[in-house]
Amino acid sequence: MSRRPEDHAEASVTKFKDYEVITPPNKLEKAVVHARPSEHYEPDPVARAEQALLTLSNDFAQWMEAECRRLDAARRKVREAGLTDAARDELFRAAHDIKGEAATFGFPLIEPVARSLCRLIEHSPEPARIPLVLLDQHVDGVRAIVHRNAQGNSERKAQVLAERLRQVTEEFLAHENRNRPGYLDEVAAPALAPDPSSG
Amino acid sequence: MVRIDFNRLRFLVIDDNAHMRRILRTLLHGFGTREVYEAEDGAAGLEAFTHYSPDIVITDWAMPIFDGLELTQMIRQPGANANPYVPIIMLTGHSEKKRVVAARDAGITEFLAKPISAKALYQRILNIVVNPRPFIKTKTYFGPDRRRNVNPNYVGPDRRKGGKADIIKQQPLLDKAKALT
Repeated sequence: MSRRPEDHAEASVTKFKDYEVITPPNKLEKAVVHARPSEHYEPDPVARAEQALLTLSNDFAQWMEAECRRLDAARRKVREAGLTDAARDELFRAAHDIKGEAATFGFPLIEPVARSLCRLIEHSPEPARIPLVLLDQHVDGVRAIVHRNAQGNSERKAQVLAERLRQVTEEFLAHENRNRPGYLDEVAAPALAPDPSSG
Repeated sequence: MVRIDFNRLRFLVIDDNAHMRRILRTLLHGFGTREVYEAEDGAAGLEAFTHYSPDIVITDWAMPIFDGLELTQMIRQPGANANPYVPIIMLTGHSEKKRVVAARDAGITEFLAKPISAKALYQRILNIVVNPRPFIKTKTYFGPDRRRNVNPNYVGPDRRKGGKADIIKQQPLLDKAKALT
């Protein structure tokens, strides 16, 4: 693909004793539009994107079914091969994707279960010691909530299930990490993401 | 009033999950972008980055072969590619402090925690386009300035040292690369 004229612009460099401050050419300036408040402009791009996502949402239940099948297949591999690095990574990635997609796809109740499964896999110092039955309970929990969600009115049961799985997982992790004082506190630090609107 | 002409921006989306790529493509098209390229892992992403010269890269963290963090480190190699300054948005389900700090130190421009929303994605892109940050190069770091705000009341060690030197023009990296071939 051919390069554009702005690709050839130069960066300016200010050198200090131990570091350099580099101001790259602003290649994105071309996309900035200064409009007067009275000027007519296109509808809110966020609203347009949300509308586009709404159109796509008809497929979300089907997509979540596919994610559940992927999670189940990964669980079966663990059952067959044990918690090898490859099998564990596959199960983790499947659970991690579900955790990130749950709210977007309209299944917020499975997020805490998927989160608990991710923590179980990620923070067990000896993965081979993870009880397979606990992995099964998480996977089956996700699948049950997804299927019940379609039938509605299962919110309370899903919350109880998620909380019980979380408790058992945290107890297991606390025991397994007893020789790594502070480890779980560190990973349990509050979520932190920079707010771009703060400047 | 500032707005973005998305039609003038070229995006590269790197995510091993086809559903998430579809969502991102839908949101970006909704904003008005026409050019959205996709790759399904870090290796394919690096190849697509070289081929398409995107204006903005959006990458997942957890991916097979090499992940979004390693991809960022490969892109942020001065002289190794045509645009080591490209803005990178890390879109991930990892939102723990330790992870955010690791992503920042690898040189990402913006961090976006899942679940994704149109508003949060738009805000990150707006910030990238309207408020570009300078790059800092030290012995151990190359990436956007990690100090988003100047704190006049800061008390502590001066972690960047040295007096100001002359501003010099840097040879475009592309020309350097051409000279080597």
